[in-house]
Amino acid sequence: MVFLDSENDSSSASQSASRHSNVNNKVIDLEDSSANGILRHKALQCANLYEYLITLPEDVIDTLFSYPIICLAVYRDLPDIGKHYVMRVLFVEQPVPQAVIASWVGQEYSKEHTEVVEVLSKLKVWQEASIPGGLPAWALNITFKKNLKVAIFGGGSSWGCNPNMEADTKARDVEYLDKYAMERWECVLHYMVGSQQQEGISADAVRILLHAGLMKRDDDDGSPVITRDGFQFLLLDTPAQVWYFMLQYLDTVYARGMDLAQCLAFLFQLSFSILGKDYSTEGLSESLLTFLQHLREFGLVYQRKRKGGKFYPTRLALNMTRQKGKSEISSQEGFVIVESNYRVYAYTDSNLKVALIGLFTELLYRFPNMCVGTLTRDSVCMALRSGITSEQIIRFLTLHAHSLLVAKGGPVIPPTISDQIRLWEKERDRFNFTEGILYSQFLSHSDFSVLRDYASEQNCLIWHCDKRRTMVVTKQGHDDVKKFWKKHSKGPISNC
Amino acid sequence: MAVYGGAERSLLVIIFDVHPCQKIITNHQHRFHQVLEAVIAFSNGHLLMKPDNRLAIIGCHSGASDYIFSDKDYAVVPTGINDGQYELFAHVEKCIRKNIKQFLSKMSNNLPAGESLLAGACGMGLCYIQRMKRELPIGDKMNSRILVLTGSNDSASQYMNYMNVFFTAQKENVVMDVCTLEHDQGLLQQGCDITGGAYLKTPQQQGLLQYLMWVFLPEPPLRKKLVLPPPVKVDYRAACFCHRQLIDIGYVCSICLSIFCKFSPICTTCHALFKTPGPPPSKPKKKKPKM
Repeated sequence: MVFLDSENDSSSASQSASRHSNVNNKVIDLEDSSANGILRHKALQCANLYEYLITLPEDVIDTLFSYPIICLAVYRDLPDIGKHYVMRVLFVEQPVPQAVIASWVGQEYSKEHTEVVEVLSKLKVWQEASIPGGLPAWALNITFKKNLKVAIFGGGSSWGCNPNMEADTKARDVEYLDKYAMERWECVLHYMVGSQQQEGISADAVRILLHAGLMKRDDDDGSPVITRDGFQFLLLDTPAQVWYFMLQYLDTVYARGMDLAQCLAFLFQLSFSILGKDYSTEGLSESLLTFLQHLREFGLVYQRKRKGGKFYPTRLALNMTRQKGKSEISSQEGFVIVESNYRVYAYTDSNLKVALIGLFTELLYRFPNMCVGTLTRDSVCMALRSGITSEQIIRFLTLHAHSLLVAKGGPVIPPTISDQIRLWEKERDRFNFTEGILYSQFLSHSDFSVLRDYASEQNCLIWHCDKRRTMVVTKQGHDDVKKFWKKHSKGPISNC
Repeated sequence: MAVYGGAERSLLVIIFDVHPCQKIITNHQHRFHQVLEAVIAFSNGHLLMKPDNRLAIIGCHSGASDYIFSDKDYAVVPTGINDGQYELFAHVEKCIRKNIKQFLSKMSNNLPAGESLLAGACGMGLCYIQRMKRELPIGDKMNSRILVLTGSNDSASQYMNYMNVFFTAQKENVVMDVCTLEHDQGLLQQGCDITGGAYLKTPQQQGLLQYLMWVFLPEPPLRKKLVLPPPVKVDYRAACFCHRQLIDIGYVCSICLSIFCKFSPICTTCHALFKTPGPPPSKPKKKKPKM
């Protein structure tokens, strides 16, 4: 069922709706899914670690918990209160009554408590247990508990790759690694926007891009082209991009005959490793070595020689799990200045960045070291149409704001600009979709008003028009209203 | 990519009292070891919370205060033992053990008598926090707090230094937590109250780590959500400047607000001159009916 915001519009909508209900005494159930699909774009869903883990089957999660490093990553991803819950029961050897845990949080925050409890149970970090006396209690997952303790205090068995103890004769410093990582990563992004530099990306990477739905085969010649999701992907910040990309990669891990748990554990070990330190490949299984080669291609690790026996994790791998608090991110400097006259100045010589700016601005000039564009209604609407959201645009502009702007303090984008971008998006959101059932063709006004009042009492009345004696009731409320109507009318001339 | 305003980190400075006269150290042979283990575990617990969390530990006794762990130690050197422990934690543990050993071995045999220089160590902590704030990437926020861990006796000899530290901390939005192992510390209690920190005298020493984790691990913004021990009634008596004794009623210099337990014609702090004590307070009352 389609409704417009303003009163005038809604009457026309009801007209179209009532036309459907010409059949006498019949309730029409209008399906809205098709209309919904056209007008609402699904924003690119970049799951965080939690959202990813709860999609995994239980036995996989259990295997994952057998790696201390994953326990650490899971722990860091918990909500703040949840971290303290786990910490408090970490050394308690018996289940803790649920009521006790609930009393750890102030009354006014009990909603947060419920959320935290849900997260912890969904992640299988703790399970329901019963204690003598029949009270419900929570008990930490034994594997998780054991391995989190190992991660914090040590005393477990060795796993994965060891850091090389003797110094590398040709050691690479952090700067070099950063440069290398960004080069590799931008190579992938360049490929996506179809820039000229297309060498250096393997068929495997292309396959993942296709699998992730970031690119699709062109209908004409079968060459990969960027999709709507791809555009949104480009506007994400680098760590989010890497994480999204890795999740898509992990999806294909089964098909490659690798062990998901092992790959994930290795990935997390990388993300908890030391930047600028070389690690030994000794003791890694064959499939992990293949995995390492893939990571090398995307710039997550640096290896001088394929058979060199050592590798350096780069900042890309390190930043993977920190989605929210990113502080010491790469060497890239901000380059965008947004003025309150809608002009956007981008100090960059990279085609990729210019192309990104061009996604939502009208480019005016291009100089060797900078380009100038304006944010216009048309250009922003174009971007919105291609599936980018206003938040993504604003986030992109803030994220890449020139360091001078950031240093000045205050809002990085002029508030007028960010508000306007949001308003332009709102412009497109004038439709509200609600599924509902139409009641019409009442014989008398009293019948209509009785039913209308009943429905509004039940909070299921979406819309009504006294003049036409029509009303629309939510789907959930339909059964109730129908029953009421049957009881009310009793007579043979029932409307429903 | 210059990311602005995103990360919120928290800096914890632990002031660790290692004065050898503390009863809990002298009474039980292994107790000091236990306290040290608890401090290490608690430090790692803090670093575990958020990837950007920072830590500093300052050790102090009656002769000196020194950094046990600071930003100089952040370059992680692999320990070479791969037992599943997160490399950073292993490194922190190793560093703390090494440095505290060094600090204790430097302690001279004839320590100056008196209590630990806790106020001085707190001052060091504040300076450290100030420096870390300056070095923070633009736009980042940092919650800083100081945790004083001590088993020393309560004494008012450092009253002035304490007050300076407390009010500086309050001005700089640094929260001061105090965990005393043995005696109630009136002055430090005041500090907690002034800066909005938590104060706890551990009821028993065995579970020190658990107490630390419960009360002091949550960072201040989170504490209002958790139910923590209620604040104790604070003894707000001041110490006089002449004998460093806690007094209920005393003389206050009208110029510089110094406190004295006995009348003195010259203020020792600002050298202001006072006339001999005025008429006892009962006299003016007698005058009134005459008027």
